Order: sequence, then structure tokens, then C-alpha cells
Amino acid sequence: MPPRRQPPPASGPWGPRPAVLLLAPLLLLTQQGVAAAPVGAEGPEDSPGLQDAEFPSGLLQQAARAALHFFNFRAGSPSALRVLAAVLEGRATVNPKKGCQVDLVFTTDHYNPEVGEEHLGKCSARVFFRNQKPRPAINVTCTRLIEKNKRQEEDYLLYKHMKQLKTPLDVTSIPDSHGHIDPSLRPIWDLAFLGSSYVMWEKTTQFLHYYMAQISSVNQWKTNDDTIDFDYTVLLHEFSTQEIIPCRIHLGWYPGKPLKVKYHCQELQTPEEASGTEEGSAVAPTELNNF
Amino acid sequence: MKWILFFGALIGLSVCGREKFFGDQVFRINVRNGDEISKLSQLVNSDNLKLNVWKSPSTFSRPVDVLVPSVSLQPVKSFLKSQGLEYSVTIKDLQIYREMDSIAGDFPELATRVKIGHSFENRPMYVLKFSTAEGRQRRPAVWLNAGIHSREWISQATAIWTARKIASDYGKDPAITTILEKMDIFLLPVANPDGYVYTQTQNRLWRKTRSVNPGSPCIGADPNRNWNASFAGEGASDNPCSEIYHGPHANSEVEVKSVVDFIQEHGNFKCFIDLHSYSQLLMYPYGYTVKKAPDADELDEVARRAARALASLSGTTYQVGPTCTTVYPASGSSVDWAYDHDIKYAFTFELRDTGHYGFLLPANQIIPTAEETWLGLKTIMEHVRDNLY
Repeated sequence: MPPRRQPPPASGPWGPRPAVLLLAPLLLLTQQGVAAAPVGAEGPEDSPGLQDAEFPSGLLQQAARAALHFFNFRAGSPSALRVLAAVLEGRATVNPKKGCQVDLVFTTDHYNPEVGEEHLGKCSARVFFRNQKPRPAINVTCTRLIEKNKRQEEDYLLYKHMKQLKTPLDVTSIPDSHGHIDPSLRPIWDLAFLGSSYVMWEKTTQFLHYYMAQISSVNQWKTNDDTIDFDYTVLLHEFSTQEIIPCRIHLGWYPGKPLKVKYHCQELQTPEEASGTEEGSAVAPTELNNF
Repeated sequence: MKWILFFGALIGLSVCGREKFFGDQVFRINVRNGDEISKLSQLVNSDNLKLNVWKSPSTFSRPVDVLVPSVSLQPVKSFLKSQGLEYSVTIKDLQIYREMDSIAGDFPELATRVKIGHSFENRPMYVLKFSTAEGRQRRPAVWLNAGIHSREWISQATAIWTARKIASDYGKDPAITTILEKMDIFLLPVANPDGYVYTQTQNRLWRKTRSVNPGSPCIGADPNRNWNASFAGEGASDNPCSEIYHGPHANSEVEVKSVVDFIQEHGNFKCFIDLHSYSQLLMYPYGYTVKKAPDADELDEVARRAARALASLSGTTYQVGPTCTTVYPASGSSVDWAYDHDIKYAFTFELRDTGHYGFLLPANQIIPTAEETWLGLKTIMEHVRDNLY
């Protein structure tokens, strides 16, 4: 798989130093897929004492990732997943009492490396991290890359393919220990990633960010005429703590319809769970997280 | 018979393109009667699975030892389970140590396998020493460290590929030839053997050592937070259950202590490179502080050149910078320890990828990764060769 190309950072290891956000390019962007997460009662604009202060290195990248997870979830399309290419510009304002707001512009690439040409997309986003609390508030707009109908077509092809898979799925981990994903199971990985995007968005903070490491078990896979019902356990890798977090996710998907997700992650560290893959008792989702 | 075809087909495709996978295991299978012997024979004779009988049964009461390549582990286990055949796994992780031995055997004038210590679970710690020095000369040396975090499989894989590359290219490639004429290279492909075996047999995502923490149910310490460089500072945890637990004290992990003792006893190392994954970063000290290292400018320049050389092969881009601000604060790390002990050219590689597969990098990326990394490593070693102090 060809490695993702990233333009070398303008300065510093984490991309350009924050610059004043230019509004003009924003207005030129096509209004596709405007997504917004509920903002807290008071935005940073309401509070006095705003300052351009020191912020943790990599904050712009954090914000970009959070925005992309949220965007992918809202787009609800396993065939149109996007991944971060590079942060172009960004600015952060910190309110020590409330959190920090990041405005940024970044480019994106296809998630699935098999797709031939590089088709860079562009997004602008406003991300508000509430002081180390999860569920950053996000407003993100991205250039339209695939026409809506075409995207739905591809999703529908995926859906048909998934309907043909023999159940119960005879798999344990995806990928296996050697990183191999059987091509027939690739759509499952993409759908799992879509569900995980919801979880990863909610859990991302200024300091914590996640990657989906492995699907450790498929608990249930049901394809009805109007939904795919997918219950699975995924291992998320949190980068700054290096922890592996098992999350039980239950999603419902149908092309064109909003994704429904319920999840429960094992947060507390107990013996042998510190590094995940504790194949264990099914953790029943205790909260309905979907909105 | 249907069973064999089914399981054989499962891995037939992957075996065809077989590269050097690690994690081959020896299964000791109990056969209690003629029926079981015949089932087992069918399994062994199946071409697809590439099984190798080490000890055949002469009577029913003696077990059969069968070498199972790592790609066949899953289908063989499933088969044995479905047939009710009892088995246990005896020898684990043969491949890397056998390959090291093979390199030393193929290039006896250049390479020797040296035992520098043992792990918590008493596995040997082997380095390959590459030297063209005569007699007991203690030339300036380079230390290549890999596999300290066991789940970062691309690290051990890159290291063992590099070992054979060093040996094969000596005398042919002017760069490595002149490097070896001035310096010795020590390569430790598996700095955390217990963790590595654990990732193959129990938990693919295990990171730490497998030492016991008294009073805690959690196992292991992070061997890259255990070095005596701002030990227990920022960017490590004092909780034994944490993935970045620093351990009860510096060098508490015998795997770390073995390397420290060896390097200190040698006394003439000039370069220390630690291979990790993932993120595609090439970093230099410090991890334990944001303060600039005295040689940061030079190290930065070397690292940028190395990253450019690496990228020249397939376009893989690496970001360059000091550890603390490039990835995160980390205290007690190997590279910081090396730097603070007069080993100026100290670098950390975070190899492929940037998160898509993460630790589970597909096997078909091993050789491309090793080949591009080799260009980066050579750039660094050439600089060391030309700037010995």
C-alpha cells in the first residue's frame, strides 16, 4: 500500500505555526456535509479573559483528527471515509477555565489506500475542546469530493457485498497478527471503522487521540433488508498513554441513512486488560450514546 | 480429508508469497491411537500447510513434534481442536534466533552472535556483532536496538533484515564497507524477548516486559521508561498497570540492565539508534525535557538528511525533531540515556505507518520498510564515521 504523502511541515514538527485564519478561502468551499456537534451552553466568545496562550504541541493535529472522526461519522459512508493529510493553517484561543477553541484548515485523503489516484480534499473546522473533557464540539465543512449519488451507489454495492457474506462470520481478529485483512472482509473493517469514528470522536480531547488497532471479535452480524446490524469489539490505541482500550460497539447501518451507534469501552485497568484482547464476557452497553 | 482441504485453502495464498515470518512454533501432539495417527498424517502431508515433522511417532504413547510455520498456526490449531487431538506448544520464536545464527554462520569473518544477558523469563539476549577489527581492538561502535516494545513487530523484522543486509553488502557497497572499516556495529533485534513471545502466543498488542510486580496483579514495565535518564520523570507512570510504567527503579528490568552493562563495559559507543513503530518520525534527544540538547542542531541536520535519504526510495515521509515536542514527553528512555552517557549520535525511529494499520503493519510492507530505513541508517552511520570523537 503506497504510503500516505504528507507535505513537509512549513515549520516545526507539527505543522505551520498558528496563523490568522483567512476567511476568504472558507467562503469558497462548497457547502457539503456541514456537520455540527452540540456546543456547550457558553461558547468561548462569551467569556472574558481570552488569550492566545501556549498550547500543547500538536493541538492543531488533535483538532483535525477530532473533526475528521466527527465528519466521517456524520457522513455515514464506509466507502467515503477520509483521513488527515496535512494541517494547512490554524489558530487556537485558550480559555484556561473553559477549554480551548481551534479554528483550522486541513487537507484529507482517501482512507482506503487501494483507491487509485490521490484525491486531496479540503476541510475547515472549528473545534472546541472542553478542558480535558471528552466530546469536543465540532463544526466542520469539507469540499465535496464524490457526488452524493455516486457515493450512495458505492455504499449500496458495499451493502450488497456484505449481505452475501456467510454468517456466522468465521473470523476472530481483523486484521490478523500479520496485518492481513481478507479482501472479502475489507468492507467489515470499513464499517467497523465508521462506527469507531463515533467513539473516537467522543473520546478525543486536547491530549488524547485514538487509532483503531484491531477488531478483536465479531459478536453479531445480521443483514436485514433495511439495516446491517453489527455488534463487535474493537481495540482502540490511545497514543499518548499507549493504552489499548477495548470497546464494544453496536451499530446499525444502511446506505444513505444516519449511522446508529451504541458503545461501551473498558476504561478501568485491571490485570491483563492493560494491553487489550481480553476475550471476555460480553460487556452490555449501559448507555445509549446515539444522538 | 475435507478438513485438510478446507484448512489448507485458508492459508494457501499467503504461504505462496512467504517471506520471513516470525513466530513459528513447535507443536507437541499426543496421539493415542491409530485413528489419530492417520488424521495427523493427513495434516502433515498436506502441501499447503508446510508442516515439518521433527519427531515421528513410533508408538502411540509418544508424542509427535511438528514445526508449524506462523502462517499455518491458526488452521492447524483449529484442526487439532476439531479432531480432539491434544497438543502443547514447545519451542516458541525460533525464527529470529535461528536467522541470527545463520548469518553468523554465513559470514564468519564479519559476524558473531554474542549473548549479552537474559530476560526475566530466562530467554537469551543475543546481539550480532559486525566487526572487521583484528584482535582485541575496541573500535568506536554503533548500537542498533530493536523490539524493545514487543508489539512493534516491524522493528524486529527491520532489524533482522538489516543484519543480513550489513553482512551481504560488506565488501560490495562502499558506504557500509568504509563504515565497518572504522567502526563495529552491534545489533540487538529483540530487546524484549519475553514480550515478543507473548505477542505471538497470547496477546498481539503486548508492549512491556513480562516481569512480576510485587503487590500488583499487573505484569511488566515499559522497558523504554526504565533507563537512568530522568527516571520517573514526566511522561512515565508509577502505576504497574500502565503501559508506560517505569518500573520500581532504573534498570530494574533485566533486559535493560543487560544492555546498559554491556555498553558501559565496552566504553566506546558513539551512536545508539532505537527502532520503534508507528508514526514515521525520526527523533533525537531529549524526551524527558523540552530543553534543547547541546548537539541538537547537528543531530537535527543529520536526521533531516537521513529522512530525505529514506524518502528517496518510495516517498515515505518522516517528520523530524526532538522527542519531547515531536511525539510526547518521555522520561527514562534508551536514547536519552545513551546521549547523556557520551553517545552523541542518538536517534529514535518510529517506523511505518501513520495509523492505518499501526502495529499490525501488513507483512508485505516489511521489506519496503526495511529497505528505506536502511538508507536512513546508512546516512547516520556515514556521518558518525566522518565525525568520530
